[in-house]
Amino acid sequence: MDKIKMKDDRNVLEVENLKLYYKVSAGLVKAVDDVTFFLRKGETLGLVGESGCGKTTTGTALMHMPTPPGYIAGGKIILDGEDIVPLQEKELRKRIRWEKISMVFQGAMNCLTPVYTIGKLMSETLHEHDALKGIPKFSTNPKTSTRKKNASARELMIKYLNYVGLSEDVLRRYPHELSGGMKQRVVIAMALFLEPKVIVCDEPTTALDVVVQAQIINLLKELKEKLDLSFIFITHDLATEAEVSDRIQIMYGGRVMEIGTNQQIYGKQGPMHPYTQRLLQATPRLHEEVEELAFIPGTPPDLLVPWESMEPPEFSGSKTPHKSGLKGCKFHDRCDVCMEKCRTEEPDLIEIEADHYVACWRCRG
Amino acid sequence: MYWKYALKRLLNAAIIYIILIFIFSALFNVQMEQTVYAQIDELVKQETMQLKDMRPDEIRNWSIQRKAHYYSRYNLNKPVAERIMLRALNALTFDYGTSSLIKSSSGSRDVRIIVMEAIPRTLLLFLTATILDILLGFWLGIKKAQKPGKALDKSTSVITMVVYGMPSWWLGMLMIMVFAYIFKIFPSGGLHATPPPPAGTWSYFVDALYHLILPVITLLVIGFWGRAFLTRNIVLSTLQEDYIMSARARGIPERKVLYGHALRSAAPPIVTMGLLALIVSFSGNILYEGIFSWPGMGNLYWVAVQQNDIPVLMGNLSLTTGLYIIGLAILDLIYGFLDPRIKVGGKG
Amino acid sequence: MKLTDMKDSFSEFWSEFSKEKTGVVGLVLFFLFILIVIFEPILLPFEDANDRWRDITYWADNSKSAPPAWTNWFSSEKKATTERYYEYTTNEQDLGGMTVMEYTFDYDYQFDDAPNDIIIHADATGAPLIIIKVVRPDGEEVEVYNGSFSAGETTKDFRLSVDNNSRSILYNFGVQYENRDSLKDVKAGLIKTTNTLFAKAEEGILRDPQALKGDYQIVIQSIYMGDDDKLENPYIVMPGKVSGVLGTDSSKRDIWTGVLAGVKWALLIGILTAVVSVFVGVIYGVISAYLGGWRDALMQRIFEVFVSVPLLPVLIVMSAIFEPSIWTMVGMMVLFFWTGSVKTVRSMALQIKEETYIEASKALGASNFRIIFKHMVPLLIPYSFSSMALFIPRAVVYEATISLLGLGDAKIVTWGQILSDALSGGAVMNGLWWWVVPPGLMIAFMGMAFAFIGFSLDKILHPKLRTR
Repeated sequence: MDKIKMKDDRNVLEVENLKLYYKVSAGLVKAVDDVTFFLRKGETLGLVGESGCGKTTTGTALMHMPTPPGYIAGGKIILDGEDIVPLQEKELRKRIRWEKISMVFQGAMNCLTPVYTIGKLMSETLHEHDALKGIPKFSTNPKTSTRKKNASARELMIKYLNYVGLSEDVLRRYPHELSGGMKQRVVIAMALFLEPKVIVCDEPTTALDVVVQAQIINLLKELKEKLDLSFIFITHDLATEAEVSDRIQIMYGGRVMEIGTNQQIYGKQGPMHPYTQRLLQATPRLHEEVEELAFIPGTPPDLLVPWESMEPPEFSGSKTPHKSGLKGCKFHDRCDVCMEKCRTEEPDLIEIEADHYVACWRCRG
Repeated sequence: MYWKYALKRLLNAAIIYIILIFIFSALFNVQMEQTVYAQIDELVKQETMQLKDMRPDEIRNWSIQRKAHYYSRYNLNKPVAERIMLRALNALTFDYGTSSLIKSSSGSRDVRIIVMEAIPRTLLLFLTATILDILLGFWLGIKKAQKPGKALDKSTSVITMVVYGMPSWWLGMLMIMVFAYIFKIFPSGGLHATPPPPAGTWSYFVDALYHLILPVITLLVIGFWGRAFLTRNIVLSTLQEDYIMSARARGIPERKVLYGHALRSAAPPIVTMGLLALIVSFSGNILYEGIFSWPGMGNLYWVAVQQNDIPVLMGNLSLTTGLYIIGLAILDLIYGFLDPRIKVGGKG
Repeated sequence: MKLTDMKDSFSEFWSEFSKEKTGVVGLVLFFLFILIVIFEPILLPFEDANDRWRDITYWADNSKSAPPAWTNWFSSEKKATTERYYEYTTNEQDLGGMTVMEYTFDYDYQFDDAPNDIIIHADATGAPLIIIKVVRPDGEEVEVYNGSFSAGETTKDFRLSVDNNSRSILYNFGVQYENRDSLKDVKAGLIKTTNTLFAKAEEGILRDPQALKGDYQIVIQSIYMGDDDKLENPYIVMPGKVSGVLGTDSSKRDIWTGVLAGVKWALLIGILTAVVSVFVGVIYGVISAYLGGWRDALMQRIFEVFVSVPLLPVLIVMSAIFEPSIWTMVGMMVLFFWTGSVKTVRSMALQIKEETYIEASKALGASNFRIIFKHMVPLLIPYSFSSMALFIPRAVVYEATISLLGLGDAKIVTWGQILSDALSGGAVMNGLWWWVVPPGLMIAFMGMAFAFIGFSLDKILHPKLRTR
């Protein structure tokens, strides 16, 4: 049984042993702890899990924008062949962010600067990134007059607004004049128009009502087809995940529990990891008669590791193996098929079958 | 949309102004008219001194007549409510009558002229100080917000708190003592040297500037830390907003994020607070102007209170209040204008 | 709220607060002020200063406009400090029908610049004959007073001011050592009596006296002729060229005393005004937000009227109308200060109102009163405290402003009163910095202390602005 397959040409994103910790006065909160996965071109990888499992943090980590006091403590993020972890902020803004990887934020309600019109917001982003590939008429020649630049930028903006189903009228408007759904579409349009390699969607539909949710989901699927995009889709809503994703990654306690294709997880066979199984069981289904709602007893683990319990290497965030606060598998205290080994040793992600990885002692032979 | 808002606001201001004028008129009635009676008695007494060749009872009759004459002239023989009404209505039409005690620089006793003359002088001092205050405070506040919690931020915050309770007029007293009496660098007060240089000339202008320096610097020394502190807080809380993170994610360089997105969003409260300080200073400057012998509204008010000069008091108070209220209203309007959420309003 | 809940939240609050260094400093200063107020009776050099601030006779033995004593450290020429002498040796002689009482004070003079005066006090009964002379180290004796003092049957205070009384005596004394020509420049009425008394007996003694340092004796001789005649309990006060911790003002009042006495008023006025104003403002804001509808709108209109009043001018007019006592001042300030917290409180209350537990309480049948005071107001307490702390300096400054404009309560000694006297006493023009700086500095200190406290509280309330 092999470990996770990397260095594959089909991969547009490879994350190796990523660690993102929050430095607080009591110690370190290991929000993302040694996470490894990859994303292939043209596919949607869904990140699922309960609140606090580390999926949103992973998302912001991919943009190399941890929310302070968070910081990337180790690992690699190889985007388009380049590890972006060691890069500086200036470099990231210039070349990487939005050009190679963009993000559709959670709660787009407040993501658009209220004092600028949509047009200004969009054109500003375009003008900041002169290195656009393959778009004719948008001149990267600085000698081109601003007028010409503006005209071609405008064309581009309208094109993408149309993709998301908005008219050019929107350019004149201020964010507060738009409805939630419209704002979300604008945000999506902006995430796309530089045609980045990877687009991270962080709970793009959570704040919207069900009807609009459906519209947005369909939109995303459409765009993926049309423009051959690669998405990372983060949500805690399993149903949406099933609709949208090609492969699904289940996270818990800052670690990856299982990665599988849509069919493998949601299909008849069902997932292999006990956590995933319980998760799916907990989702009420309309067509079944349910007397009692299934749930997973207990609470997610506390990811705080107090300073006192750490060995010196912890402080510098090196890659040497460490003693963490919670021993063994992160899920073992809530798992109904827990073994002795689960309590003491943390399982690695192993490929059980083609494209199906599980981190569980029980699931190995 | 905006015009409706503006109109409503201005109407509100007008109503409040009218209410206040009536209240003031009533206030003055309570006590100060005593002095008017006393003044009339004085006046008539002086007039009787001038009389010759009259018998005592004739004099008495005559003085009673004169008093009655004055009473009717100053409306003292009408019922209280009517007197209040009259004074209020006069004030509303900006007719403040004449002062018997104070003259304007051109020699006029018309209260309106007296008061109007004083306004630009007050404005000169406080507007200058406020503009500098806003500029300096803004600049420092942004610097502090960029590196919060570090040395500059912490030390300037402490200074802000140290001068928080320091009265500006006290610092003024110190400054005058040191820079005008001990080291005779600056004038001890006033707007112009006596005698003032000829109006409209270059030296007139420079002389005024020279007199402006000490009072303005004193105001700045105390004021601009507070402005910086406020700016820093507002900018910091703005920087926490999601749209700032969003802008950074889009690869916008930090300079543009700070000065474009953050500042532009933070501008409405900062600017309005600065102007608010100006408006408040307009009414709270009586002692300050007194210390510097600055011939503005505040000083005039003080002189009028000391001499119980009701027409000037009423006129000054009405205009001060009026400017104050209009100032507050304009402030609301400016805020509304700067914040597109109010300016454009509503959902599309 | 239960007691244990309160204790818990308090200790939680304290662990947060103690992290703010400035807040702790402010709190320490605050306690210092309280200590001063508590121990005022002991601390005041002049105990009756509070009641007798404007009583000239109380301060008669002080110097006028004297700089603080410690300014001597900064100059090579040591000026005399204000001193009092209570120790003397007694010598009683009985000569038949007369009794001669002699009190001798030993005085070691080491200053370069003599005290302004020598004031001799004693309790006199009857009509004793009094002779006072000063024995100089160079052997010369100067008799500064010779006369009888009739006190009558009841004991009266005998007070001799050498500067007032013995001018011509000292002129004559000095004349011996000056030559004729130089005397033309000297006016008898303008010589410095004490400087001459304590000067070297040489030429220039009247024009530019040089200090004669050494042991002096001041001898008070009293001759009793009648049975009731008595002169007892003498003491000597020498008001110096420099005096006290903070010097004196033009009415001879000790400024340190004034400044200490002012602490309690500043605290009283500040705290009372702040607490009542914030209290009223919070209640007003909460009720307005809670009632909503036309009542809210009405309350807001009333609020707007109050807010539109330019504070100081109206305060002045009202002070001129009503009697300026400390209570009316506090009342008037509260009348306008309460508006300060209303807007913020109202918006906070509106948010709380939307919370479901409020709805739940209503559904359970809780009365409005209960909801407002049990559920809403307690949430506003942290904000109230920070608000109060930040109001206090404003109130103190306003009182000082009113006092400076002459409209304050002249019966009490506040820092504003002292500054008001300073302004009218020409302190600014004459560079009497020790009169101007300390009271203002105290106002600033108090302001600073409460600003520290208030801003630290504020930081705890708005964790977003924290940068740790």
